[in-house]
Amino acid sequence: MTTGPQAHAIRVLRRRPGLNQDGWFRLALRGVAILVVVPILWMMVDTFSVTVPVWERFGIPGFVTGLRWAPSFTIYGALPFIYGTLLTSAIAMLIAVPVAVLIALLITEILPPRIRSSVAVTVDLLAAIPSVVYGLWGLLVLVPFLRPFEQAVAGTVGKVVPFLAGPTPGPSYFAAGVVVSIMIVPIIAALSREVFAATPRLQREAVRALGGTRWDVIRTVVLPIGRSGVLAAVILGLARAIGETIAVTMVIGNAPKIGASIFSPGFTLASVIANEFNEANQELHPEALIALGLVLLVISVLVNGLAILVRQRFARGVGRVA
Amino acid sequence: MSLSALAVSARLRSTSRSRRAKDRALEVCAWASLIVALIPLVAISLFLVSQGIRSLSLEFLTSDPPGDLSATGGGIRNAVVGTLLMTGLATLIAVPTAIALAVFSREIGGRVATSVRFVVDVLAGLPSIVVGIFVYSLVVVATGHFSGFAGAIALAVIELPVIVVATDELLRLTDRRIDEGTRALGMLRWRSFLSVFIPTALSGIITGIMLAVSRAIGETAPLIFTALGNNFFTLDMNEPIQAMPLLIYRNALNSAFPAARDRAMGTALVLVLIVLAFNLLGRWIARRARPADQR
Repeated sequence: MTTGPQAHAIRVLRRRPGLNQDGWFRLALRGVAILVVVPILWMMVDTFSVTVPVWERFGIPGFVTGLRWAPSFTIYGALPFIYGTLLTSAIAMLIAVPVAVLIALLITEILPPRIRSSVAVTVDLLAAIPSVVYGLWGLLVLVPFLRPFEQAVAGTVGKVVPFLAGPTPGPSYFAAGVVVSIMIVPIIAALSREVFAATPRLQREAVRALGGTRWDVIRTVVLPIGRSGVLAAVILGLARAIGETIAVTMVIGNAPKIGASIFSPGFTLASVIANEFNEANQELHPEALIALGLVLLVISVLVNGLAILVRQRFARGVGRVA
Repeated sequence: MSLSALAVSARLRSTSRSRRAKDRALEVCAWASLIVALIPLVAISLFLVSQGIRSLSLEFLTSDPPGDLSATGGGIRNAVVGTLLMTGLATLIAVPTAIALAVFSREIGGRVATSVRFVVDVLAGLPSIVVGIFVYSLVVVATGHFSGFAGAIALAVIELPVIVVATDELLRLTDRRIDEGTRALGMLRWRSFLSVFIPTALSGIITGIMLAVSRAIGETAPLIFTALGNNFFTLDMNEPIQAMPLLIYRNALNSAFPAARDRAMGTALVLVLIVLAFNLLGRWIARRARPADQR
């Protein structure tokens, strides 16, 4: 930024004795940074060291692909929970992504500018409700409400497709997926809204001037330019869905095995940890639950990293177009 | 008019009709999505108000719960106090640290700042239950018992990235001319941050803090591994301590008992009101600070 005479001037000014205070200022900032970062990194290493007996006993592939979870026999396998996490997240994404993207389009492209921000704030409120309140409402209201629908599906399509078969006890992968979908709609909608709002105005106006409808604007300008930005929003929503804990614990039915149907009770990685941790007194049980936490950590770091990569691509894309 | 021109104009009319129909369909779908998404919001509000209001009274807020979840009566004083203590301490830890981290990555840069940035990004993406496990293995295992301090540390780790991101964004927006002005005046860097950059960004930082607090107050999962919760009133942060989300969770799991059910719903109403207050206050501050034409 500064070269030649400017750089020289700055060097001369820095030599002033009073500027020593800035040395202290920088030192203090470095101190705080180290005081925060080192314990956090140490926390991760420390957590890994707690789980070493689990890895020694079952091996990483053995633990991750183990089908059986039986604390009283000291048998621990993570696969039922990985399956539950992926299935509930998939159900949540199927419901939430179209709804959230359409809401974002509604707010940025269709609504009159005057009421845009109030509608946006109202949708954002969904993200403010604590997870435990979603769980309570899900358990007492949504699960009983969904049951007739589940029974109808299980009684018709479910007779042919085992994946949709009964029985339908209520708490299930499906119920958990629906609750999580409600929780991630505001996240995906808010991020997509920002992406859509960043589309260059000139191009929109050009399409309108050629006689294009709003649908044409969205199809030819907003979606192509915002594609990777929306993808990043969707991936961040997925990350939230994977990590969602308490609400899922309260509506998934808590069964430590792979349920054949989406209407079967199950467990996700996060919910089995929350549910069993305080009562874990069998050999290796707490360690195995913490090991599940590390599996969850790895999955969510991978998913978040993917979102960051995609978002960087989006930022470049907008730069090119504009 | 020749026949072929008629055909072309007919085709144009029909495509424009189909395009208009698609436009219309999009509008209908978009409105339907909004309604679908708002149904849960309305349903939860109605549920909380209609079910929770019965439990609400002065006594509910000022007395402690009976030891037995199935017993009627009592209140949630211990949970309200525990939540305030832990969130308060967490905010006291998180705010200065987060602002220092944001200033650090703006002012110093380089490889260290990049790695700090990376750690903050990782933290922001961590499921809160994983934060709970980390703090469990760092604090609870080391001290040998669950405690309010451990809970506060977990909540601080959850608040930290939210505040860092908000502060960083605002410091980035600081007008370059202001920056150059402070340099031209020969201002010390710490002086420019303390008296110019941070005050300029203050309303945005406060908004970030409010949103972070509103998130931390509602967190349950990390507290299961740290604060644990109990049924007694305590101000001792070195002991297990109750929090409102924990109380809702434990009572909801016993919702077969009408008393536990009502207690969970009453507490949920109080919790949501507190969370909304912080959330809306934060947004209001942000809105007021923006120039009128961008509201």
